[in-house]
Amino acid sequence: LFYGAGAVLTATGKRDMEQLGGLIHRMPYTAFAFLIGCAAISALPPFNGFVSEWLTFQAILLSPALPQWLLKFLVPAVGALLALSAALAAACFVKAFGITFLGRARTAVAREAGETDRWSLAAMFILVALCLLAGILPGYFIDALAPVIQPLAGATLPRQEQLDWLTIIPVAQSRSSYNGLLLFLFIALAAGLTVEVIHRWASKAMRRSAAWDCGFPDASPITQYTAGSFSQPIRRVFGVVFRAREEVHMPPPGDAQAARLHVQLHDVPWDVLYAPLARLVNFAAERLNKLQFLTIRGYLTLVFSALVTLLIVLAVWQ
Amino acid sequence: MILETAVQLDELLLVLALAPLLTGYVRKLKAHLVRRQGPPLLQPYRDLLRLLRKDVVLAHSASWVFRVAPYLVFATTWVAASLVPTFATGLLLSYAADMIAIVALLGSARFMLALAGLDVGTSFGGIGSSREMMIASLAEPAMLMVVFTLSLLAGSTQLSSIAAFMQGPGVGLRVSLALALVALVMVAIAENARIPVDNPATHLELTMVHEAMILEYSGRHLALIEAASHLKLLLYLSVIGCVFAPWGIAVSGQGFAAYGVGLAAYAVKLAVGGFLLAVFETAIAKMRVFRVSDFLGAALMLGLLATLLLFVSRVT
Repeated sequence: LFYGAGAVLTATGKRDMEQLGGLIHRMPYTAFAFLIGCAAISALPPFNGFVSEWLTFQAILLSPALPQWLLKFLVPAVGALLALSAALAAACFVKAFGITFLGRARTAVAREAGETDRWSLAAMFILVALCLLAGILPGYFIDALAPVIQPLAGATLPRQEQLDWLTIIPVAQSRSSYNGLLLFLFIALAAGLTVEVIHRWASKAMRRSAAWDCGFPDASPITQYTAGSFSQPIRRVFGVVFRAREEVHMPPPGDAQAARLHVQLHDVPWDVLYAPLARLVNFAAERLNKLQFLTIRGYLTLVFSALVTLLIVLAVWQ
Repeated sequence: MILETAVQLDELLLVLALAPLLTGYVRKLKAHLVRRQGPPLLQPYRDLLRLLRKDVVLAHSASWVFRVAPYLVFATTWVAASLVPTFATGLLLSYAADMIAIVALLGSARFMLALAGLDVGTSFGGIGSSREMMIASLAEPAMLMVVFTLSLLAGSTQLSSIAAFMQGPGVGLRVSLALALVALVMVAIAENARIPVDNPATHLELTMVHEAMILEYSGRHLALIEAASHLKLLLYLSVIGCVFAPWGIAVSGQGFAAYGVGLAAYAVKLAVGGFLLAVFETAIAKMRVFRVSDFLGAALMLGLLATLLLFVSRVT
């Protein structure tokens, strides 16, 4: 995904999604790699993200066996949050891919963009292949990671390699199992069959024409959904969490100015956790800054007192 | 092994054959409930065949995503639907994917469809995709909470094991199960774009979600997407039937009579489910799109409550 974002940046020189769009026509390979990356990070089968999510859920479902009461309450909440974040990730990446690569180009730069060089593409496609491989053959990857897990958790999953058909079974067959390879083949087979049947019996004719858009197509690409408008419903629903505030500034009637939409978001963890820390560091830095402007006597006193303090600390220590 | 393969193949064909019938049945019932004649039961089949014979009209700005999406959406939904035990457990491939995987498969289908909605670059496609993802961001966790509840009770995330457990004597009446049932029904209504959330019968209404997303599709592509949404409705009804009314599902190794009973029971379940859906849809008005979040938020809370109750009450 980062390679893809880099490719888009070098091709267009823009980082703002609102000014891109339609890149899939100009950068088809990058778009494909980016799409697979999006599907993998949104925990969709048959890619690797889903296997990890699935294993985490299995672990959560085992947790009523835990003895601690606090954990008993916390773990299902964590499960719900994980499910929520997976769904939100899917929404986020539909937006990222859809606004950047799909639709119509919103600026001239996006219309003229070109594909990146072959080496960057190769780097992306190696990672894409890894995503798919880890998704359909998770057993091998779990076994390969076992030596790392062993010292961390003090236990490992049973060996997965020799199970039938490369299925993964973390606990017991009757409890749960997942087989990425079979699922992938099954989907591929169903899709292939559909394509075959459709192309044999259905009409093959295809016409190109202007978009339908319910009879009111507007040629200007400004009428497309933008990133801001795409996330507006989610922003409203989860607005409480982020204390989102939307303001529309409409020009007075008769004024030809464009209306403006202001969106203000607060990231609660940032406000609660990081901002006080940053303020503390700033405060300390301000105070310590004074030390840089001492006289030579001041410095000597400082060094001397630091030495004395150190010695005292040492003496107390022993 | 041969029997399992046969059952799996039957299942694949059965869901495909039954899904349009179910949709036609629900439409017919809804028409009757408001004292109208309604289209014939087999109308969805005719629609699909007609669409298959029509040309595809493709927008100039459409890319390959737009053309590949219908096939992928249909294939993933079909696979997901055929992994739900409808009339018999012991499917050949049921161990390949459990209930979480089925939910995620539907998520994949939705992901592709939302991208296709954005692909042509029209405002209608965008509005549909955006709202669909908003609904999904609440419906999917709610569905997973229901899955958690069921699998905590049954000790398994496999649908067939859950169905077997629910048939067994150890179930009893449980508050969690009731909560989970309500949550599951709410999710099913939202996911299938049924009335309080979205209206499947309209094109020209600004509150539309699913129909706006597929507005640019035509011909065989539209046929595939329609078929996929029929399949999805069937899938949710089957899940509800298989988990909360598991009577009559044939277990492997019971002979052919059991399969016959299973089929009959399945038909009855679908009929009852479809009837309830039609009555519910007729009785209720569609809600504003930003009230959907309250509706689904309630489903999520119910699911979470059900899971929490289980976590607290279980001693093992």
